[in-house]
Amino acid sequence: MENIIEINHLSKAFGEVKAVRDLSFRVKEGELFAFLGVNGAGKSTTINIMCGQLAKDEGSVYICGMNPDRDADEVKRNLGVVFQNSVLDKSLTVRDNLISRAALYGIAGNELEKRLTELDRLLDFRDLMKRPVGKLSGGQRRRIDIVRALIHSPKILILDEPTTGLDPQTRKLLWDAISMMRKEQHMTVFLTTHYMEEAADADFVVILDSGKIAAEGTPLTLKNNYTGDFITLYGVNEEKIKALGCPYVPIRDAYRISVPDTGAATKLIVENPELFRDYEITKGKMDDVFLAATGKKLTGGMER
Amino acid sequence: MRELGALVKRNTKLYFKDKGMFFTSLITPLILLVLYATFLRKVYEDSFHAALESAGASVSDELIGGCVGGELVSSLLAVCCVTVAFCSNFLMVQDKVTGAKNDLSMAPVGRGTLALGYYVANLLSTLLVCLGAAAVCLLYLSKTGWYLTGTDIALTLLDILLLVLFGSALSSIINFFLSSQGQISAVGTIISAGYGFICGAYMPISNFSEGLQKAVSFLPGTYGTSLLRNHLLRGVFEEMDEQGFPEQVVEAVRDSVDCNLYFFDSKVEIGSMYIVLIVSIVVLIAAYIMLNLMTGKKRR
Repeated sequence: MENIIEINHLSKAFGEVKAVRDLSFRVKEGELFAFLGVNGAGKSTTINIMCGQLAKDEGSVYICGMNPDRDADEVKRNLGVVFQNSVLDKSLTVRDNLISRAALYGIAGNELEKRLTELDRLLDFRDLMKRPVGKLSGGQRRRIDIVRALIHSPKILILDEPTTGLDPQTRKLLWDAISMMRKEQHMTVFLTTHYMEEAADADFVVILDSGKIAAEGTPLTLKNNYTGDFITLYGVNEEKIKALGCPYVPIRDAYRISVPDTGAATKLIVENPELFRDYEITKGKMDDVFLAATGKKLTGGMER
Repeated sequence: MRELGALVKRNTKLYFKDKGMFFTSLITPLILLVLYATFLRKVYEDSFHAALESAGASVSDELIGGCVGGELVSSLLAVCCVTVAFCSNFLMVQDKVTGAKNDLSMAPVGRGTLALGYYVANLLSTLLVCLGAAAVCLLYLSKTGWYLTGTDIALTLLDILLLVLFGSALSSIINFFLSSQGQISAVGTIISAGYGFICGAYMPISNFSEGLQKAVSFLPGTYGTSLLRNHLLRGVFEEMDEQGFPEQVVEAVRDSVDCNLYFFDSKVEIGSMYIVLIVSIVVLIAAYIMLNLMTGKKRR
């Protein structure tokens, strides 16, 4: 797979504040890339530089092989952005919004209708076309935001906390649609999110802290490198768990034992077969990875 | 061109669909209407009657009606052209507040096109409102005292166009620096309350103190109001001449309603008023273009 986004030694400061510091990463074509960090970590600055909205101080940025400073218009044609908050015109209908935005990419008439039909198959929004955006529910509005971002068939979809505040059903609908687009159109998705379970599904994750990369890798690599495994053991008493000499926490009708890795878990089970009759082994979660990498918790945009 | 057309259509639609923005823009003209309906009309009628009768001239109600009506209509149109332009141009700021500006600038459209989209849409929206207001005003004059010719109406429409161009350019520059709802409210209140006074709509400039008269003579909008007064009252003064009113009396009335404006004691001719207004429009538009070019470089 080719690199569709290449960032090399990117730096950006606002006065004394260094928002991004020597940042380098690659995003491969067609992958779901998760970009995590607490507020102020440098995510938005990086995205703004990628989109050609902000000048960088140092480093290089290539989107689809193009430099946003030199080929701003062409780069913009390849990017679709779903902003954190809906930015469509609330007093206009969905149709008026989509017509006015599509025209900015030179899309109108039959070409627009064809594109809307394609997107309707994925996001099911035809019934909403005549309604003012301000009258839509949060989930419906989010769907239209995604339609707007995809109206010009971009190669890269940037999702800036797209599911914040949405109910689980709508989140699932959106992710199903995004998954289908990735599958059918080989679209690259660049995601920032506060939902760690969404990041866990990514192909590659970069965790940003104070403008620098704190950790990067696939979710599996990160879990292996930054968290241990957990054995949840059922039907034993606490004395026997204590005798194992491993850290544990009691949970309802079971105990959760922490081990450094899967090898250590296997060793423990093999050495104590009489104890391990009813158990399960799980890897650490992305929340644990984030905490281990940054020393901070990522919870709905709030740093803890 | 298609992109510009789409932006103009979007911006114009938003102004007329946003009832809050639309009705807010009509507040100043409505205040003026209330002022006239409640007491100003009577005050002016009484003072004209008293002034003309003390000069030994007898004057018909229709002529007084035409004179007072002309003053009301010119004041109303003068404030309308500028305050409506300001309010409709607040869309530019609201787009920053709502984030719509970020979305628009994500499209492959230059900053210049975005800026022109706001300016042209603002011009169209304001012209539509002001031409509608002008139609209602002419209807009103036809009831109170009609002394207008086709040329007067054409020149009045030209004055409206120039004042709308002026108001749009001025508001574009001021709104360019605003970025929050609080700033919109503050500027909106100042413009709505203040512009009527400084352009001589609420009260003729001739009633101001000498210092204030000198100060407002530096403001181009003042000449726009005077142009409207001159064209909407020309027929009234012609009728006064024909009825044999003494020239000094007519000239005194012209002074009192700001048809004659003075820049440090020298009378400003109508041609000069046009030059002042046109030059200020050109300078303001050039300044707006410069602002956009200067910030065309990405944020640092």
